[in-house]
Amino acid sequence: MASYANEDVLVSTEWVANVAANPEAHPNVRIVESDEDRALYTQGHVPGAVEIDWQVDLQDATWRDYIDRAAFEDLCRRKGISNDTTVVFYGDKSNWWACYAFWTFKLYGHADCRIMNGGRKKWALDGRPWSTDRVDPAPGTYTASEQDMSIRALRDEVLKHQKAGKPLVDVRSPEEYTGARLHMPDYPNEGSLRGGHIPGAISIPWPLSVNEDGTFKSAKELEKLYVKDAKLRRRSATVAYCRIGERSSLTWFVLTYLLGFSNVKNYDGSWLEWGNAVRMPIVQGPTPDGSAAPASPDTPTA
Amino acid sequence: MSTVAERLDEVVEDFVDLDGREKLEMLLEYAATLPPLPPGQKGLDENRVHECQSPVFIRVELKPTSDGHAGVHLQAEVAEEAPTVKGFVAMLAKAFTGRPTDEVLAVDDTLLDRLGLADVLGMLRTRGLRAIIEYVKRGVVRSLADSAS
Repeated sequence: MASYANEDVLVSTEWVANVAANPEAHPNVRIVESDEDRALYTQGHVPGAVEIDWQVDLQDATWRDYIDRAAFEDLCRRKGISNDTTVVFYGDKSNWWACYAFWTFKLYGHADCRIMNGGRKKWALDGRPWSTDRVDPAPGTYTASEQDMSIRALRDEVLKHQKAGKPLVDVRSPEEYTGARLHMPDYPNEGSLRGGHIPGAISIPWPLSVNEDGTFKSAKELEKLYVKDAKLRRRSATVAYCRIGERSSLTWFVLTYLLGFSNVKNYDGSWLEWGNAVRMPIVQGPTPDGSAAPASPDTPTA
Repeated sequence: MSTVAERLDEVVEDFVDLDGREKLEMLLEYAATLPPLPPGQKGLDENRVHECQSPVFIRVELKPTSDGHAGVHLQAEVAEEAPTVKGFVAMLAKAFTGRPTDEVLAVDDTLLDRLGLADVLGMLRTRGLRAIIEYVKRGVVRSLADSAS
């Protein structure tokens, strides 16, 4: 595969810089920053970009779910996003949170979403300007769709998927996959009681998809990683997961938009749900089925 | 010289009437005041705060103060990619420096509620900042034990 399945979904920092320099010429484009550390946006953002925060804006504050449809519509209006707006996401950490926000926008059916390839890191490496201006866009008009469950897997569905032996991709670090640790190296333990992975899940840590400068690997490299080596199939139902669904939304993006997979779901409950729920099957060790590792009990029948 | 509690009250004063954006700006102002770790202490695993997301190194020491008690001394190095953490650590460094250990150990995690940061940062990030307070307090306890032995 010489080029990405969907070339238009990635835009360059140069493209964004042009929009930022001439916003009047691009009234239908909204640039959105999503970061792990919110103060980064405050410190300096792409001129004209608004911020959407994964925790404060996209997560419901009471129950563990995304904001509902009405709250999403309200968020879009406030951020100056209408149904026909081209929304360009970028952020820190090789665009993890940008992909998370992209996925959430797709969940509510937003048509035109893009990612600025390389995110904050590439923008800085290119020596492009940061702005600390407060951005207060004219409100958008928005009507969201119901959640598109073709890109989201909930726990029971993942359990069925697992039992049927269908492809699962664990994108966490090797240490989290084997069960040696309950959280990312250098990250806080956000409260998983058990370590390991979903039986049958193959390990493809997310950083393998990105370059040092934060951009995505080439189509050829991604094809080798996911299709040739890992034997994932474009039309097979595939579920990606991580710890809280952020790193796996990057992998979901790569599989769906860069490699053209037709049926990939993000399991956003991820390990923080699976590793805490009662009677979920778990294996430890370096292999998908947990062989060459201490045996773990099968899921009880009663 | 004001106590830790009084200094933290002043910090809370700084934050209390600000909107979310201004709170983040205030954190950035604090971040800019954080003195660096001395060269020999940079990147040492013993100073690494493993509870933190980005590379954060905090060194807690006790140094005698002019009136003879052991004063808490806090130095830190926080990655540029984590300005929120950097600002918070700088705030603690400012409030704790030179004060007796019991004042630092008495700090509770209502500080974050009083700063009103939970609404701005969300639950998970706020939990990370709570962990930093606990990390510093553990460092104080450890330094006390070391100096007693």
